[in-house]
Amino acid sequence: MSNVKGHATIKVTIQRYRPEMDEKPWPQEFEVPYHFDLSVLETLNYIKDNLDSSLSFRWSCRMAICGSCGFMIDGVPKLGCKTFLRDYIDKGHFTIAALANFPIERDLVADISGFVQKLETVKPYLIRKVEQPISEGEYLQTPAQVARYKQFSQCINCGLCYAACPQFGRNSEFLGPAVLALAYRYNQDSRDQGSDERMPFLNSEQGVWSCTFVGFCSEVCPKHVDPAAAINQGKLDSTLDYGLNLISMAGGKK
Amino acid sequence: MSRKPYQQPQSATWWLQNSFFRFYMLREATSVPVFLYALWLMTGLLRLLQGAEPFNEWIALSTSPVGALLHLVVFAAAVLHAYTWFMLTPKILVIRLGSFRVPDAWVKTGHYVVWVLVSAWLLWMTI
Amino acid sequence: MNTFKRSHEPIAWSLFGAGGMVVAFIIPVLAIITGFIFTQSGDNDSYTLVMGWLQNWIGKTALFLIISTTLYHTVHRIYHALHDLHIKGNEWFMLVLFYGTATVLSVVCAAWLFIL
Repeated sequence: MSNVKGHATIKVTIQRYRPEMDEKPWPQEFEVPYHFDLSVLETLNYIKDNLDSSLSFRWSCRMAICGSCGFMIDGVPKLGCKTFLRDYIDKGHFTIAALANFPIERDLVADISGFVQKLETVKPYLIRKVEQPISEGEYLQTPAQVARYKQFSQCINCGLCYAACPQFGRNSEFLGPAVLALAYRYNQDSRDQGSDERMPFLNSEQGVWSCTFVGFCSEVCPKHVDPAAAINQGKLDSTLDYGLNLISMAGGKK
Repeated sequence: MSRKPYQQPQSATWWLQNSFFRFYMLREATSVPVFLYALWLMTGLLRLLQGAEPFNEWIALSTSPVGALLHLVVFAAAVLHAYTWFMLTPKILVIRLGSFRVPDAWVKTGHYVVWVLVSAWLLWMTI
Repeated sequence: MNTFKRSHEPIAWSLFGAGGMVVAFIIPVLAIITGFIFTQSGDNDSYTLVMGWLQNWIGKTALFLIISTTLYHTVHRIYHALHDLHIKGNEWFMLVLFYGTATVLSVVCAAWLFIL
């Protein structure tokens, strides 16, 4: 920590990338005011307002629910709004970069559209074979039935788990933690009847079988979704599905 | 407006960048000494097939200072594997009794109890 | 758009999982036994002991399962670790090299136990 005009400050190195003039990202250092309750997101806004208005980054809600402000903060995927300068003040310095493994659109803006596309692929919504008429009321669930999927439904699509996943970094075709957790979430829902439409995705190489249970996705998830658990429980489902498929093939079906 | 997104390449040394990844790679690396140990067990089986004398030579090599040291490496690798395995298994093995979900901690503890019992039983069989 | 083909990984993963249990529960104590407890002489010498274990089908089957699943578990991990380390090889060659090795060694192991 150093002092400028009697105010505490902290140094931050920000990864810049301006597609119209840069071939690759480069680091830019700033010295910014320090206070124990300042978040990384507030610091980025301070820089944009006072030091360099050309800095680009995404944000919206400031309260860890919109999932927009994910960055690599000192190399770890975190939400800018949920990370505070006080965690880095002892070092006196920290870094902010765009989320790893995604293409960088500009500065700290990662292009997560590939993830959103994959999410649509696995049909993350309730599928009914037969819709119950409204006159019969809502689909009731017991607390135990809700508990089966509740944790996996907390995802805010921030993409931190993708930035944490070396298998996604290795092969961007991998459907990845959040998408597979969401698919598993609907398969676990007692109101849903669409698991046979989702299993082909889970069963594939790009599905649960690209995962090697590194587990860092669950570590960085700001909503404690535990995608690694969902994926690996999905491996059990997929293995069962594989066996059943063999039996039905032996029985002459398709 | 034309776009020019920067593709972030994954370096082959990605696993060195933080302690979580380093530990993951260490976990995966336990397979190498354990694989070699499986080959050594097969060697022992072959020597057993050849008779008492060859099998005793195999035991002499196994329990020699160098052999014992290598066995310690295998032991350490297998224990590290067991530690990580028992940590991850409860996440996959979800046991439900009616509407009651057996807590992860119980599943994990159960594994450790079985581990101690199996180890003690095998030692008792040998000594 | 991508095509999603059914992966055959469930076979490898099941063997990996079974081997993972064996490596966790059995291999630590077995390494202590073969490295430190086996002896060459005395009334209870280890040759007699081990022969005793392996004279029946329960013992033979147990040792076969221990060695075979351990082989499948470890080759599976090494195969995937090489992928993680960006060490590339022809996909079929690598599959045959690793899982093939485990299969051949398992068959050899079964044959030896059979004639023992």
